[in-house]
Amino acid sequence: MTIKEKGYTHWEGELEEKKFPWWPITRFGILSTFRKKFFKIFFFGSLIPAVVFLVGIYISERLDDFRTMIQRPERLLNVDPGYFKSYFTGDFLLFMMVMILVFCGAGLISDDMKHNSLQLYFSRPLKKNQYFLGKAAVVLFFLFMLTLVPGLVFFFMKLIFAGSFQFFTTYPWLPLSVIGYSLLVTVFFSLYTLFLSSLSKNRRYVAILIFSVYFFSDILFGIFYGIFRNQHFALLSLKVNLQQIGALIFNQKLPYSISSLYSFLIIFSISFLAAVYLRKKVKGVSIIK
Amino acid sequence: MTIEVKDIHFSYGKVKALSGINLHLENGAVGLLGPNGAGKSTLLRIFLGFLVPDSGEGKILGYDIKSQQSHIRRYVGYMPEDDCFIPGMDAVTFTSYLGELSGMSRQEAMKRAHEVLFYVGLEEGRYRLVETYSLGMKQRLKLAQALVHDPKLLFLDEPTSSLDPQGRKETLELIKDISSKKDIQVLISSHILSDIESVCSHVVILNKGELAAQGEIDELKEIKYRLYEIKVKGESQGFLQKLKNIGCRIEETEDMLLKVYMLPEQSPQEIFKVALEEKVQVRHFIKSQTTLEDLFAKVVGVD
Repeated sequence: MTIKEKGYTHWEGELEEKKFPWWPITRFGILSTFRKKFFKIFFFGSLIPAVVFLVGIYISERLDDFRTMIQRPERLLNVDPGYFKSYFTGDFLLFMMVMILVFCGAGLISDDMKHNSLQLYFSRPLKKNQYFLGKAAVVLFFLFMLTLVPGLVFFFMKLIFAGSFQFFTTYPWLPLSVIGYSLLVTVFFSLYTLFLSSLSKNRRYVAILIFSVYFFSDILFGIFYGIFRNQHFALLSLKVNLQQIGALIFNQKLPYSISSLYSFLIIFSISFLAAVYLRKKVKGVSIIK
Repeated sequence: MTIEVKDIHFSYGKVKALSGINLHLENGAVGLLGPNGAGKSTLLRIFLGFLVPDSGEGKILGYDIKSQQSHIRRYVGYMPEDDCFIPGMDAVTFTSYLGELSGMSRQEAMKRAHEVLFYVGLEEGRYRLVETYSLGMKQRLKLAQALVHDPKLLFLDEPTSSLDPQGRKETLELIKDISSKKDIQVLISSHILSDIESVCSHVVILNKGELAAQGEIDELKEIKYRLYEIKVKGESQGFLQKLKNIGCRIEETEDMLLKVYMLPEQSPQEIFKVALEEKVQVRHFIKSQTTLEDLFAKVVGVD
């Protein structure tokens, strides 16, 4: 390889201060996740509950047409905040969300640490928060596709299928609950993923951590609950804490008879500690050793 | 003035890293030299806006090093020493991605990425994944990403380390081309002094956090000392000791050649005077061409 005769030429344009300087990071993160083997299968598989619940909403408005097929449909397909809560806090959806985190989040920071690319980011006019936002937005995108988007689609489809605003006037706060819970669960999972991703340079270890911390917390709850029969051990489980908060936000009976405030505190504390750790761990100054 | 810093002090806790650094660097290529722990990295960290000095002030490209770090990074290109890349990207995507992060639009960044990859000689491999690149290609790619947004100032950290002789030569040619014809100032931190000497006209030498020397390489070599190569016959120990006593630094080579470093105010006649006193014959006397290595050794105080 030789230097071309054309030589170096100056660029004529002007560098801009962008409104969303983190967007290229997010765009690349999303595209590279879609390029991963089996991801598309998992992602579209995780949309199955959304499709099933959407069909349920349709049937709930056409009960007469389906009466011969479904036994006591009024009980089964009563679309109310409880129906939304069932979707958002279902075990299958939460499991699929964790699987999505494994695919899209494991390498977000660990790959940058492994390949020394933090120095490439931070030698640009990119602030640390913008870097984190760009990375977190990858997780936010995929989780919103499983929470916020289906939740709002359910709500609007219910109105469309019903052909009236009665559902909205009965539960005017429901869209806010959908937005609130979606934000809470996605922000928590984003920080959870980024924190674990910053712990190791090996994305496989991170993937195992993302998966095992979530499930181990649930198994731990099962073991302690089996021994002591005390519902407070439910607070050990990330899944149960999210389900408790979900029940509160959708104004439903809590699955466990413990205050949901504790669950809020636990989820908030984990998120806060993860954010503090990330800020300390990922340093722009480490660009020159 | 591209780089101008006044009385910069910086400490890592109790450890003093920089003490009273004053620099005024104009256009062209500047070599940043110093032994390990001299403060080169700290100075570069301050230039890039990652550290704020404890005291002192300075401007890079007219932007304040204490309050306008983000602006500095927008107009500065940085080629790190480490092997660094973003996996899963080909060279075009990688270069344009970093151009976008510098503030270019996506289309412009893509167009420009092709240009700089062509310039550094990676046009054939630009659609290959960067993780499949050889070390030399990665080095060129790092230079391309540093140039993509057309910086006014380029920081190159050990740009030729780990390269084979051919790769090193080509990289130096690129750096020479950029610094000599393209009105981009280049600051090169390197341990390979011959590289600095071949590319830079100006040098900054740090030692123990202090500025040991700064200026045009040719002038510095003249100002700091004069070097004479001599051969003598007779008992040389007393002769050498006397030369040391009058402030000369002496190196002996394997072929019995004596390298005598004299201060500029000293006259070479003093060598003959001492030789006469010590009754040794001077059989060979020549004013030698000094190298950057000699200058470095002299100001840093190592052989």
